[in-house]
Amino acid sequence: MSQADETFTGGIFHQSIQDGRAGANIRVVRGEVIAEPLYGNSANGEQAAFAIPLRDVQLDMGGASGKMIFCRSADKSLTIFCEEKGFAKALERESAGQLSDQLKSLKGSLRKENRRFMFWLSVSCVALLLFCVVGYYGLMAAARTAVHALPTSVDEQIGKAAIQSMIVNRLPSDHKASELVKQIVNRLKPHSKFPEMGFEIYVVESDEVNAFALPGGQMVVYTGLIKNADSPEQLAGVIAHEMSHATLRHGLQAISQSIGVVAAIQLMVGDVGGLLAIGTQVAQQSVMTSYSRNAETEADLEGARMLHAAKIDPKAMATFFAKLKHEHGDIPGVVSWLSTHPQHEDRIESINKYTDSLTPIAYEPLDVDFKAIQDSLN
Amino acid sequence: MEAEIRNRPAFANLIVNLQAGEKIVAEADAMASMSSSIEMSTRWNGSVFSALARRYLGSESMFVNEFTTSSTGHVVLTQPFPGDMACIELQGNTMFLQPGAFIACEPSVNLGLGWAGWRSYFGGEGLFRLKVSGKGRVWFGAYGAIFTRDIQDEYIVDTGHLVAYEPSINIRLGLAGGIFSSFFGGEGLVTRVKGPGKIYMQSRSFDGLAAWTNSHLY
Repeated sequence: MSQADETFTGGIFHQSIQDGRAGANIRVVRGEVIAEPLYGNSANGEQAAFAIPLRDVQLDMGGASGKMIFCRSADKSLTIFCEEKGFAKALERESAGQLSDQLKSLKGSLRKENRRFMFWLSVSCVALLLFCVVGYYGLMAAARTAVHALPTSVDEQIGKAAIQSMIVNRLPSDHKASELVKQIVNRLKPHSKFPEMGFEIYVVESDEVNAFALPGGQMVVYTGLIKNADSPEQLAGVIAHEMSHATLRHGLQAISQSIGVVAAIQLMVGDVGGLLAIGTQVAQQSVMTSYSRNAETEADLEGARMLHAAKIDPKAMATFFAKLKHEHGDIPGVVSWLSTHPQHEDRIESINKYTDSLTPIAYEPLDVDFKAIQDSLN
Repeated sequence: MEAEIRNRPAFANLIVNLQAGEKIVAEADAMASMSSSIEMSTRWNGSVFSALARRYLGSESMFVNEFTTSSTGHVVLTQPFPGDMACIELQGNTMFLQPGAFIACEPSVNLGLGWAGWRSYFGGEGLFRLKVSGKGRVWFGAYGAIFTRDIQDEYIVDTGHLVAYEPSINIRLGLAGGIFSSFFGGEGLVTRVKGPGKIYMQSRSFDGLAAWTNSHLY
């Protein structure tokens, strides 16, 4: 019977062995489980064999692999263990059914153990996922709010560093258009959230109907936009909108959200040194891509508030929106100021709703020869 | 071959006295000093692939050095971190060592790499472990003092403190207390070891040192 000659490798624990343990060759034969230490019993150098009759064996399962089978003698002085595959089968076979119950309960407990492990593993995976999702949204919200704790000097540093490369074709500061936009800014400035912010506005030659603001109040208006406005009040509407982006810190919020977790932590701690370098680059990029829808609506309403406070008719902002959409809605790219600001109808509606709720006052129009200024542009 | 662990427990080192023809195998860069009569030869730690596996998965050196002499001499072997060393005499049995713990062994001992499993990984004991088997002495080291315990039933060891254990030891992860106490009590996950078998523990953990150092950096 070749099966009976099957030898397994395992180990034994017994007090008589030096150090109490040894590797052993194990055989299950003639109603016993027999273990022979691989290198003899060093205590006396003789080849000793340790055996447990199968009818007396107490079985247990465990080990680092979880699949090791322990055979204990009745007085628990001898333990023979093995984790090889065929060992359990050999025990079953040679014990003629005496060990079946024990083996079955061992298998059952192994399965239960595995199931328990899988359960807790999936629970922790779900918990981790939930934590990440909640953490992400929580941190994004925190990143938006944390920005308000910073002094506006941070915005100004970022904006000033970024603006230089963006105003290459600017008009000289004594040009009529430059003076007009500066006049508008000076009229709006005292009514803004941060009147002491260093607002600076440049007019850049381009056919693009666009304007943008960088953090800290650095602003650019393209000549294309000035030429497409019907009145200086409409131009003032655009400028008020852009100034609001600066005073509401949207640029910094966009930066802090795009940098993400690291930025949120650094902002709350107050260390902004490393952010300046990234912030400059991201500021330039994010200005060209769209702000979030919320940010745009916020800028619309804050801009309208500023116009009203400065006694400029805020309806001009909505009128300009509608005009651009109506006239150039089908030519994308030309009207980039609108194309980066989606959902026009909603925004026109919300601006009108706001302006309707304002107590009517006598507005003071901007006293300039707007047509002459527009003609002076190429 | 006579070998003695000296200067215990903080900065232990192993001095091995070799007679002609005797050999000791040690991990790379373990040698601190040796007699001029000692010859050192370097070989792959197993086959090329197993050596690479042992290096990148078991934090053991890719190469091992064999020290031998044709007359007499001694070699002093050390480890990079402060702590104690211990010796295990294998008699055909197997021992699992944590990555990086192995220092030296007699040539008759087999070195292998085993998959430790995710339980071991989350328990701070690494994804892989070194398996030493055969007959002969193995010397390993730990960070801190080494203390051993014979486990019969269950025992709890904090993550990062288990250095070596027998294959008959069952390892499970658990929380130190309830969820609240585990998180705020600073213990987090612990390893529940179940016997029979012997475990070796170290009195310091590398993660503990790293966390402590970080908290003192500013």
